[in-house]
Amino acid sequence: MNSTLNKFLSIFVFFGGLEIAEAQKKDDLSIGFESNSQYYIDDKKTGDFKELERFRSNNYLKVDYSYDNFFIGFQTESYAPDALLNYAPSLDQTNIALYYAGYKSEKLEVTAGYFYEQYGSGLILRSWEDRQLGINNALRGGRFKFTPHKSIELSGFYANQREGFDVSEGDIMGFNSEISLSEWLKFDHASLGIGLSYVGRNQTATIDNPEFKNLTNAFSGRIDYSQGNFFSSLEYVYKSGDAVIIFDQVRNVKDGNALELNLGYSKKGLGINTTFRRMENMSFYSDRDATGNVFNSNVINYIPALTKQHDYLLTNIYVYQAQPQISFQDITLIKAGEIGGQFDLFYQIKKNSFLGGKRGAKIAFNYSFWHGLKGDYDYENFDYTTEFLGFGEKYFTDMSLEFRKKISNDWTSIFYFVKQFYNKRFIEETFGEIKTNILVGESTYKMSKGKALRFELQHLWSKDDRKNWVGGTLEFNVNSSLAFYINDIYNYGSDDPSENIHYYNVGGSYIFGANRASLNYGRQRGGLICVGGVCRFVPESTGLTASIVLSL
Amino acid sequence: MRGITLLVFICYSNILFGQKNIPNISITNFQNKSVKIQDELKKDNITILSFWATWCVPCINELDAISDVYEEWQEDLNIELLAISTDDSRTQKRIKPMVNGKGWEYKILLDKNQELKRALNISGIPHTLVLKGNKIIFRRPGYSAGAEDELYEFIKEFKNSK
Repeated sequence: MNSTLNKFLSIFVFFGGLEIAEAQKKDDLSIGFESNSQYYIDDKKTGDFKELERFRSNNYLKVDYSYDNFFIGFQTESYAPDALLNYAPSLDQTNIALYYAGYKSEKLEVTAGYFYEQYGSGLILRSWEDRQLGINNALRGGRFKFTPHKSIELSGFYANQREGFDVSEGDIMGFNSEISLSEWLKFDHASLGIGLSYVGRNQTATIDNPEFKNLTNAFSGRIDYSQGNFFSSLEYVYKSGDAVIIFDQVRNVKDGNALELNLGYSKKGLGINTTFRRMENMSFYSDRDATGNVFNSNVINYIPALTKQHDYLLTNIYVYQAQPQISFQDITLIKAGEIGGQFDLFYQIKKNSFLGGKRGAKIAFNYSFWHGLKGDYDYENFDYTTEFLGFGEKYFTDMSLEFRKKISNDWTSIFYFVKQFYNKRFIEETFGEIKTNILVGESTYKMSKGKALRFELQHLWSKDDRKNWVGGTLEFNVNSSLAFYINDIYNYGSDDPSENIHYYNVGGSYIFGANRASLNYGRQRGGLICVGGVCRFVPESTGLTASIVLSL
Repeated sequence: MRGITLLVFICYSNILFGQKNIPNISITNFQNKSVKIQDELKKDNITILSFWATWCVPCINELDAISDVYEEWQEDLNIELLAISTDDSRTQKRIKPMVNGKGWEYKILLDKNQELKRALNISGIPHTLVLKGNKIIFRRPGYSAGAEDELYEFIKEFKNSK
């Protein structure tokens, strides 16, 4: 690794020298630094901190340099003395994590080293980074992108996938094409595009005489059509037969598929969108043995939960996670995928109407529902057959209504109501079903330039699990750079007194130029942290957190 | 240690303090076509880039607030705001109905796998940039009510000083 580092240093010194010699500025340098550290303390209410290192820190330094059509860059990461709680154990050192160099022109782009890639919606392939979730599944290898005509884009790669500071055992290869047919057919008022993708994963089987092939193939076909106020898209993905691993053993060989349909209509003041998705055995990992790992390592495709992403603390206690995988926990808990959909409505209430008042108001409504696949399940042989449009066990429903209103020039208020059903037994493979009703009220009072006060009150009603919760937030922006906040959610409804806990946080943030520093002290509720429909489990903890983000 | 030496070197090479160009990354427009970000900017005018997502409350607050005064800004400052959505496929389908439902007049661009966001080393959203042609003249992460007035003042002063 050190030799790689040396090579990169010499290249940078070389480019730096060029820059000084060259009077005309053709180059650019961009640097990003992010540091998130926490000091964990013992907590009388939630228990002592049991790990070895109390101070933990995740740090990222990314440097990008471009000269004319050439670009080069790297990212170093440091998890020292240890990574924050519940990040993957493979994130355990300080080293160069990503490096890349390439050439980019109007028609051609070539990259060597690490890169991120997404085909279509990501249902067949997506590599991306999310530092909060500890996801970085960048690909390391070679990639080209070629645009022979403005209506055609082609790309392909051969790579391994990042796994901690190493790469996956399985090789991944992909090819993608995006074709704009409306450009060819000279449509005036409509847009029609198709996409075709292939992704293969080649990994030598570790068992004798496997019934599955080393190479798993996945194909995706997509079509997008929009005309006037109407828009639609359809995607189908097929994944060839691969090992079904349950309790660390190969139990069967099954293929997988996914179908997603989206229809929408929008005009000024009104927007409607509906999505339907059905998935069967669509988990896809760069290493078969990584199937179902809790750290989101080795993930090849992106399967987010298609539900409303809520914004408030109490609305994020029971969060759905997409269920693409096969699971045979016991004879009454078998899963092979999910089926369901969601509906969205956005509406602007006119000024000077009954609900809109003098300044108008905005409404957002969402309903989502998810079920298991209906079919015949054979627990003894780890096998199943499913019905194409059959709805099985109900996993989750969520209905939410947001009402946003500007009361005066200085006052804005939001009312938010959520009704949920969460099948904990099937989603988390534990036990219980939970029904909740949640009400949130939020108001912002703008005092003068950048000075503002925001407060939030929330309540969750439930007869199940930990029962009722109440919460509140107070945020004060001294000016547009300096802000302080305090929030608390309190599980007062639980029958178990040891669960009657205040999860409080107090902190502040300061913005200077393009940079931001923040400090927080408080108690973290154990559970899922979710970003973009992908979740990471974090244990309950108490401590002091400091973050700094620099963009130079 | 070497990393630090490298940083020091770069700082002294006098490029760190120069005005930066926006990297010419491909993003997707509302018609689902791939476009280069530099081609979307007005060469001699000022463009505001606002990185947002349908699930980001402060982002929406900022865009709602500017939306109320957008017409005046366009008249007074001759600016254009490009609202760059960083939504991934979980929420991308919600962009069109939300933008129309809210009656925003901005040009919307989609940074589908966050390549532009990453190239600019943006860590969190909202994140607002002001460009003169391709040059970045102002950056600010976060949003609090009223911060749009400061943005207006900055652009006004910048224009007056020219």
